[in-house]
Amino acid sequence: MTISPVSILSARFDVEDAHLLAVAREQGAYATLDTLFDMTPDDVTEEVKNSGLRGRGGAGFPAGIKWSFLPKDTGKPVYLTVNADESEPATFKDRYIIVRDPHLLIEGIIICCYAIGCHDAYIYIRGEYTSQYEILRSAVEEAYAAGYLGESVAGHDFSLQLTIHRGAGAYICGEETALLESIEGKKGQPRSKPPFPAVVGLYGCPTIINNVQTIASLPYILANGAAAYRAYGTEKSPGTHLFGISGHVERPGMYELPLGLPLLGVIDEVAGGVWRGRGLKAVIPGGSSTPVLTAEEAATVTLDYESMAAHKTMFGSGGIVVLDETVDMVRVVENLIQFYHHESCGQCTPCREGLGWMEKLVRKLLAGEGSHADIDLLLELCDNIEMKTVCVLSAACTMPVRSYLVKFRHEFEACVTEHSAAAQPAQNLEAAP
Amino acid sequence: MSEKVTLSVNGHEVRVAAGANLIDALEAVGIDIPHFCYHPALGADGNCRMCLVEIEDGRPPIVPACKTPAAEGMKVVLESEKIKKIQRDILEMELINHPVDCPVCDQAGECTLQDYYMKFDLGDSRMDVAQVKKDKRLDFGGGVVHDQERCVLCGRCVRFTRQITKTGELGIVNRADQARVAIFPGKPLNNRYALNVVELCPVGAMTSRDFRFKQRVWFLKKTPGVCHGCATGCSITIDHHREKYKDARIYRYRARHNPLINGYFICDDGRLSYHLENENRLETPLVKGVPVTPTEALDAVRTHLGQAKYPLVVVSPDCSLEQLYAAQMFCLEHGAKVSGYSAAAIVAGDGDDYLIKDDKAANRPSLNLLGIDTSREYLREALGHADLVITLNNDPFTDGADADLSEMMKGITTIACATHHCEFFDNADIVLPIASYSEYAGSVINSDGVLQRFGRAVVKNRPVPELLELLHALGGPVADMGAAWAGMRTAVAPLGAVDPDKIGEHGMRLEGL
Repeated sequence: MTISPVSILSARFDVEDAHLLAVAREQGAYATLDTLFDMTPDDVTEEVKNSGLRGRGGAGFPAGIKWSFLPKDTGKPVYLTVNADESEPATFKDRYIIVRDPHLLIEGIIICCYAIGCHDAYIYIRGEYTSQYEILRSAVEEAYAAGYLGESVAGHDFSLQLTIHRGAGAYICGEETALLESIEGKKGQPRSKPPFPAVVGLYGCPTIINNVQTIASLPYILANGAAAYRAYGTEKSPGTHLFGISGHVERPGMYELPLGLPLLGVIDEVAGGVWRGRGLKAVIPGGSSTPVLTAEEAATVTLDYESMAAHKTMFGSGGIVVLDETVDMVRVVENLIQFYHHESCGQCTPCREGLGWMEKLVRKLLAGEGSHADIDLLLELCDNIEMKTVCVLSAACTMPVRSYLVKFRHEFEACVTEHSAAAQPAQNLEAAP
Repeated sequence: MSEKVTLSVNGHEVRVAAGANLIDALEAVGIDIPHFCYHPALGADGNCRMCLVEIEDGRPPIVPACKTPAAEGMKVVLESEKIKKIQRDILEMELINHPVDCPVCDQAGECTLQDYYMKFDLGDSRMDVAQVKKDKRLDFGGGVVHDQERCVLCGRCVRFTRQITKTGELGIVNRADQARVAIFPGKPLNNRYALNVVELCPVGAMTSRDFRFKQRVWFLKKTPGVCHGCATGCSITIDHHREKYKDARIYRYRARHNPLINGYFICDDGRLSYHLENENRLETPLVKGVPVTPTEALDAVRTHLGQAKYPLVVVSPDCSLEQLYAAQMFCLEHGAKVSGYSAAAIVAGDGDDYLIKDDKAANRPSLNLLGIDTSREYLREALGHADLVITLNNDPFTDGADADLSEMMKGITTIACATHHCEFFDNADIVLPIASYSEYAGSVINSDGVLQRFGRAVVKNRPVPELLELLHALGGPVADMGAAWAGMRTAVAPLGAVDPDKIGEHGMRLEGL
């Protein structure tokens, strides 16, 4: 079998200037709107449910089902918030959509808002996306000017205001409730759940929060039908996904692929294989917070939610990082913990205090001052911190860290052993006359 | 009454209020769930994670009790190994970057972190890497000194300034283990309730400049009292102590929870008003400025009382209900007039819409209840032909507007039964020191008609008499508190049904005032 990328989401990615409305429209942007307004909102939701589209933010919750959690007739406005706070290390798929085809996203937003009865949508874009923000902003302005946004969307009796809200550089604001706090002008800290945002969300109103890629998948589903979407992917993981492949491969990049393909096949045939002819050590399957797969495990896993779960990891964000045989896993863990420690919002005790402790313990190992007990302590701290907090940021750190400690323990042990060896000559020196 | 639900705690069934969060619901039946950040007046924040409990068959199975409403049939587990381990783990996390400077920390002895460590943890430190260093001795203004290293980031203080005073001076800045409570540069705490953050702080991070390093809390005796700082009459705890070879003194007031009056808080003026109980006190009787024994002083008063044709007694709206009644009966006995005029205690415009009142007297409603005239006209007329004035701790003439009254006083023999030095009392013909409110038991009625009883907190090495005793010694008919209440219950309708021994720690709202 030959594996090659497909063009469902990425159909206009390689069209020059597709971020401009005129070019995008020529290439079919906003073509679904006439169909959309002929349907009832419930029909749209039903079609999305039938497509089996799962949330592309990482958790993979079915999008249509999420929408149906909105309480009816609350008398309050319903909000859509599009999560473009793409901050998970190794993840850069939403950036491609925003830069190369922002009108696909806006079209998706219109579809979603019509389905859920939302007239006020927000895009929360990470602060570091500066040039990307400019492209998105001008796309939104063009869409307003052309009447795709505003009082009467594409001439239909449906109003939609779209606001772009820029983050200020906090990973945690990609957590959906911290994101809501941030839009509300507060410090970006996750809220306790329940209540869930579908019931009490932005400004206390029912709110749907979807990832950029989820929303961008809607135009295809509406244009071609749920069955066409299901033609890609697997039974439980239908459709396509943007995979950002980085690390030690010959051809790193963004590839749209149907779900369910074998990971190694994708690395070899799509990304050109491990670089410089080196051996494969491990693969981070879907962003930094997903537990690492050894080369052996990578050989049997396929790129879908179920296979990843069966391999005790997660599908995540599609950000695949290939690690070759030269990688020092202790350094990887140091890097990981440093990131999550830095990004902990500081709200919950275990995450606030514990991640810093873990970082220092790994540094201690790297400095050759650690002991076997420190490795055990690191493992225990993973357990002590995980799932004891308001949000899953701490778990996003401890789950992968545990996987490295368990699967590559010998590398951590080596830090201790090498130290003992290094200490030996020093003692001899002391004994010398 | 609110609806009740039945739930099981560690396998035992309990009936608790429906909908209340598990911390409050179980506290009401005597079961404590440890917590740092939750406070009933500030709501649940859920950040400390100390109150995590297990819910059997629950989804999720581990929840913060502060955020979980009690529900029918819920099976709460507090004693499982899993929960005990979580409590130890959370405490370990709280402590790794904590300075553990308990020996020099004012909070030691009443510190939630210290108490929980003793109760739930007792583990050795496993932290052998560098601690996070933060700032200490930060002057937050309002008499509050902050130590960021001791702080557990529960955010109670922040929520207090946002939700209660709505002044918002405090915030938590930075993330992760660099997070710290801070003020905005150049914007210190600037509200009249700031010191409540010291009391709200579960650890020694917020200290009061007034109290810090003054006394170890385990030496302090804690007596329920009523603040006499204004007409609100907030419930307080009087923390006092007699150091060896020294006299008893008060070290601080703390808010005492009272849902009828002040909730969980008191104002800073009231909190610091304990200084007045310690300082500038009258201790020795004086006749014409010369120190005399109490017996000599009493004899001198008796002589004046015996000779006076038109005695006038001026009572203070700070006197207790029992004292006022005893004074009223004393006046009947001696044919004296009694006035309760006291303009000096009213500071117009000083009050707010929370706890602070314009009227700085603790018991003015009792004057009206007993029918003691408080008008200026009545006092002025009485002064017009009085030949003896006995003032019961009332210094009514300090206000410039009452200069005419001061003028009228000249030439009239004055006897001052007083707690504190002041120009008027010190210049009286006879000065009789009396006990102040922290030194006697009694009752007061606040501006809202709530009657509170308080006990005697401080016993001085050389106690001065309580006013009620003094009046009895001078021939007043009311022998003691019991006699006062027996008399009042007969004569004063709204008190008829009041059993003084059953007033309770929160007091009671009087009907028919």
